[in-house]
Amino acid sequence: MGQNSHSPVLMAVWDLSVTVEDLGADAPPITVSVTSDLHIGGVILKLVEKSQVKRDWSDHALWWEQKQQWLLRTAWTLEKCGIQADAGLIFMAQHKSLRLGLPNGLTLRLRACFSGPVFRTVLGICKMLNIRRPEELSLLRPVEEKKKKKDKDLSEELHDLTEVPLTSVSRPCLYNGMPAHFADSLQTEKVYKMLSVSQPAPAPEAIAKLYRPASVVDKAHIHSRWLDSSRSLMQQGVQENDRLWLRFKYYCFHDLEPKYDVVRLTQMYEQARWAILLEDIDCTEEEMLLFGAIQYHINKLSLLEPQTMTSSPAMDDLDSALQGLEVKLDGAESSPQDMLENLTAPELNDYLKIFRPKRLTLKGYKQYWFKFKDASISYYKSKEESLGEPIQQINLKGCEAAPDVNVAGQKFCIKLLIPAPEGMNEVYLRCENEEQYSRWMAACRLASKGKSLADRLFQSEVQSILSFLAMQQTNPNTHTDDSMSINTHSLVSPRYSKKYKVKQLTPRILEAYQNVAQLSLTDALLRFLQIWQALPDFGISFVVVRFKGSRKDEVLGIAPNRLIRIDLGVGDVVKTWRYNNMRQWNVNWDIRQVAIEFDGNVNMAFSCVTADCKIVHEFIGGYIFMSTRSREQSDTLNEELFHKLTGGHEAL
Amino acid sequence: MDDIDAMFSDLLGEMDLLTQSLGVETLPPEPPSSSSKENNFSMGFADMNVESLNELEENDLDALMADLMADLNDTEEKLAAELGGQKEAEAPHPDLPPASHGLSFYPESSLSTPTSPERGPNTFSAPLADSPAPILSPPTLPQHAKLSMEEIEAQMKADKIKLALEKLKEAKVKKLVVKVVMHDGSSKTLMVDERQTVRDVLDNLFEKTHCDCNVDWSLSETNPELQLERGFEDHENLVDPLSAWTRDSENKVLFQERPDKYEVFKNPQNFYLWKKDKKTIKDMKDRDKELLVEENFCGTSIIVPDLEGVLYLREDGKKSWKQRLFLLRASGIYYVPKGKSKTSRDLVCFVQFDNVNVYYGKEFKNKYKAPTDFCFVLKHPQIQKESQYIKYLCCDDAWTMNLWVTGIRIAKYGKSLYENYKTSMKKAAITTAWTNRTAGTTSIPSTPSPTTKAKASGQANGHAPQPPAEPVAKVGNAPPPPPPMLPTQILPPPPPDPVLPPPPPPQATKKSPPATSVPRQLPSLPTSFPPLPTSMANLPPPPPSLSQDDSSESPPDFLPPPPPTLGFGPGAGSLPPPPPVSFLPPPPPDPAPPPRQSNIGAGAPPPPPPPPSASAGLQSTPSVRRTGPPPPKRTTPPLAAPGGGDFMSELAKAMAKKRGNQ
Repeated sequence: MGQNSHSPVLMAVWDLSVTVEDLGADAPPITVSVTSDLHIGGVILKLVEKSQVKRDWSDHALWWEQKQQWLLRTAWTLEKCGIQADAGLIFMAQHKSLRLGLPNGLTLRLRACFSGPVFRTVLGICKMLNIRRPEELSLLRPVEEKKKKKDKDLSEELHDLTEVPLTSVSRPCLYNGMPAHFADSLQTEKVYKMLSVSQPAPAPEAIAKLYRPASVVDKAHIHSRWLDSSRSLMQQGVQENDRLWLRFKYYCFHDLEPKYDVVRLTQMYEQARWAILLEDIDCTEEEMLLFGAIQYHINKLSLLEPQTMTSSPAMDDLDSALQGLEVKLDGAESSPQDMLENLTAPELNDYLKIFRPKRLTLKGYKQYWFKFKDASISYYKSKEESLGEPIQQINLKGCEAAPDVNVAGQKFCIKLLIPAPEGMNEVYLRCENEEQYSRWMAACRLASKGKSLADRLFQSEVQSILSFLAMQQTNPNTHTDDSMSINTHSLVSPRYSKKYKVKQLTPRILEAYQNVAQLSLTDALLRFLQIWQALPDFGISFVVVRFKGSRKDEVLGIAPNRLIRIDLGVGDVVKTWRYNNMRQWNVNWDIRQVAIEFDGNVNMAFSCVTADCKIVHEFIGGYIFMSTRSREQSDTLNEELFHKLTGGHEAL
Repeated sequence: MDDIDAMFSDLLGEMDLLTQSLGVETLPPEPPSSSSKENNFSMGFADMNVESLNELEENDLDALMADLMADLNDTEEKLAAELGGQKEAEAPHPDLPPASHGLSFYPESSLSTPTSPERGPNTFSAPLADSPAPILSPPTLPQHAKLSMEEIEAQMKADKIKLALEKLKEAKVKKLVVKVVMHDGSSKTLMVDERQTVRDVLDNLFEKTHCDCNVDWSLSETNPELQLERGFEDHENLVDPLSAWTRDSENKVLFQERPDKYEVFKNPQNFYLWKKDKKTIKDMKDRDKELLVEENFCGTSIIVPDLEGVLYLREDGKKSWKQRLFLLRASGIYYVPKGKSKTSRDLVCFVQFDNVNVYYGKEFKNKYKAPTDFCFVLKHPQIQKESQYIKYLCCDDAWTMNLWVTGIRIAKYGKSLYENYKTSMKKAAITTAWTNRTAGTTSIPSTPSPTTKAKASGQANGHAPQPPAEPVAKVGNAPPPPPPMLPTQILPPPPPDPVLPPPPPPQATKKSPPATSVPRQLPSLPTSFPPLPTSMANLPPPPPSLSQDDSSESPPDFLPPPPPTLGFGPGAGSLPPPPPVSFLPPPPPDPAPPPRQSNIGAGAPPPPPPPPSASAGLQSTPSVRRTGPPPPKRTTPPLAAPGGGDFMSELAKAMAKKRGNQ
């Protein structure tokens, strides 16, 4: 229509030369004769004909190198696009292979879209990897590794997914518990497993070698690496086979559903774990130990084949009812029936030594015959007298049981803090050997939580205590079960590796482990994430900025719900602004300044020092976008709104 | 096969006995010497000695009695309903023999049953006696002609096993008689079993009082010796903390309004934005408050308020208070060591919350020379006396203290706190809605509410829940739960006891929260009851009960003295006792209930109500006999011998005596 009204005059025919990437770098450009009113689609048609290569060209498009833009609107004419004979166009595939670093540290090679906005590219990648809620992730350029030896770089393991067809299905159907497109070959199945199961603990040396941000400014620099969501990879200078990182960028995880989010959950955990190991987020010693304990637990569970989670026994059939009986039957041993007698709680009986620091009557450890039953310990002068009245009975419910162990010194003590109306009573039990210790310790632990030996947890408790003991052994060869032996230094950040020796660290992690040992794999992952999310600094992305009217650099923290102004010198929070109170924000692209207005006529403005103001703009807009998501419209992603909020002037 | 069956029924029989005996057992007259709390598994009627018994108001006795009865029956009912429900799923009940058994028995409890399954711990339930099997079979057979005999047998066996399990559990359930000090200084005595949460008990109290059921109502414990006070959280089991009390404890349980309980959800900005200027906080819009709550409590992780400040710490063993900079994190309270920064890695852990509770300290200025009276304490719940393991902290002002205590609760309880709040809100909303409705519909003749109100001052009528339901049009703002059910849901047995305060909480106007309290937990104990014996002598009741228990189906006559129970069991007609009048309505409702229920069913999700009633009725037939679980004990040979030494008869006597005095 435009053309018709434009002019009836014949358009001049001219030559347009286009490089076809697939023909090789050395191949000369192909020249086609065009007129200015020929649309892009026509050009491509001519090009393909002339190339005489028969293949599927459907993924190809024209890239205008000089102007750094894609010619994706095939209905536009050359004239409308502003293309003249001197435009050096390249005809290339829109999807190219990319080396993608995942949160878990692995690198995949996969085909990603180089022509659409990065936002769209991430959607595609996430769909392939089966990660829901892709808007929470984005791509960033990796931190350059110091390349000391070139060969080391080559040894990096790549997991190839380029053969995996790009699916267009919105929710991939599952096959064998994995998306169908992964089930095609053994190799891809293996890759899926790597995506969906957390990685074993890294060696402590490996952790120490990785880059760790040392200051807020370092952390701020990381955030300058995010790609612009509204422009394509090509436009941002990313080349085929380049390396990018895929990371969770917006720390508000919507609608996390372990059933569907296996990969998402795993990768989230990995990102959190590395954030903690690399001290990207600060935590206290107690928190670090707990993180260590959960990692240990997750490692252990991940090594086992994924099995069906056992839920509480449904009383549906006879078997499970009986099973339930066994478990629940903690103390009712008074039943007249043999059947029930068989089901009563087991006991522990042993000669142990006891020491009560505060009692003057007992100086040092003294040996007695001990009986553990129903969450309490009784002791007698000797085995023979165990039928009579005990010297004392100690109820362990609510107590604290801590190890006091020195494997090398063959000291296996259990320190009990037993609550009583008058306070906590301190009692030490000394066992002869590891085996005895592990059983009594396990019993004490369970009892402190009000559980008895009949509990199914008892055996696993014993096992984990043994394996923790093994970790403290100076000679690692004595223990055969290698799946259990983990260097506890690989569970904590280098700071704590330096601070504590393995044998100091291990018992403390074991102690923390008691509180998480019962968790299923999924629950453990979730717990880890919860504790991570509960850290005060969680979810804050830092940018160094210069506030208007201020003469020094300061740090702007961007959190899911607020902006934080932080004094660079002291690290104190100066002020916070909540998005809820935000009226509007503007970016002056010419002077690269962000201005924000809040309720109550509060205004602030800053220019960005470490990151482009587009990145800051995108963070703020992104978080506001995230908060618009609701549970109801769980599946539709309002891409347009995202771009509106984050796009900047290009989007308008 | 047969032997197994035989074995099972044997087992069941045994368990029956077991349950019964455990139920109220409490070794007869044994001297009060034994203090072995642990050994005494079942119920703790400790301290139920003469004084305390006599001390109790008549209402209390009645209420207690009702509670006891209800409690025992309750479990059976539930099981019955449950089993019934199951069967029903497979096949609707045809008329069953039960009818013959006077199932009209407890309409109200049958009503309540449907809801009870909702409560986690209670879902299972108890001694249905061995009868279920026989009963079940008739209905099932016809319907399931297709089912093979084996299947049926298997099913029956499964049922029996289930039954056995229930009984075992029931036998082990620990119960306490608790005296709760009301806001007006009076007290009520309740029986609480270990499966009941504070929420359950609160609901129960709502029914028994006129309070307005707002979310601030709470149960709290005081420890006069340490001068501490703590509001129980709704999800806690009440029995647990009470079990930590010492034998001679002066501790009390209070029922009072505590505005601090859920303040964080009403004004989250005060806790989460406390650093902001006063004006911003004050001008906070409701919408923003909601957002704040959502932000901090609805995410994948609970966000603990970001608290830091200088508090005074009472030095171990010393009398001095030392200032330190403390920080609250989800993982515990930390302090900044001298010369260190506030960064996470430098913090030293002061306390973690797994094993401690947070308490308000009262008048510590006096007691411990604290800088102010705004103190809070962290200690293991078991610790009841002065100890170095108690951590004392002191704040500059009440507000700071409130911030910290609330912050600690959030860190410790996390999501449960918010869940509790939502439950309370629902409860409150329904009650209000209901109140409004009843108010509007007073004209309806059947509405009992006016009466109730009138009576409130004197004696309550027992028929709480049901009646009000009737008038209810679907008007309410209270959407889901059918109002009628609510009250019941808490404690199935409410209706039975005539004495109980007015059932419908709605009318209740707000009570002032005075709250003096004299709680009294009666730990388990078979103390001797000197005075009672005498009274007993004159009293005919005990013996009769003995005789009738096993054989007689009709419990009514068996316990003459305690009218309450009677009212409960036999239904309307048989009751001569005057007080019940008010409560009578419920039984007659027989006709009424069905319609009511249908209404309910229509409007509300819980369709279960109607069927259960039917089924429950059916099932309960057998339980009729069971009605008297309490009495059975007496019958039990060993116990019987002592002759009325047991708790139930003491109760009965005490009540009779009171009556007589009147």
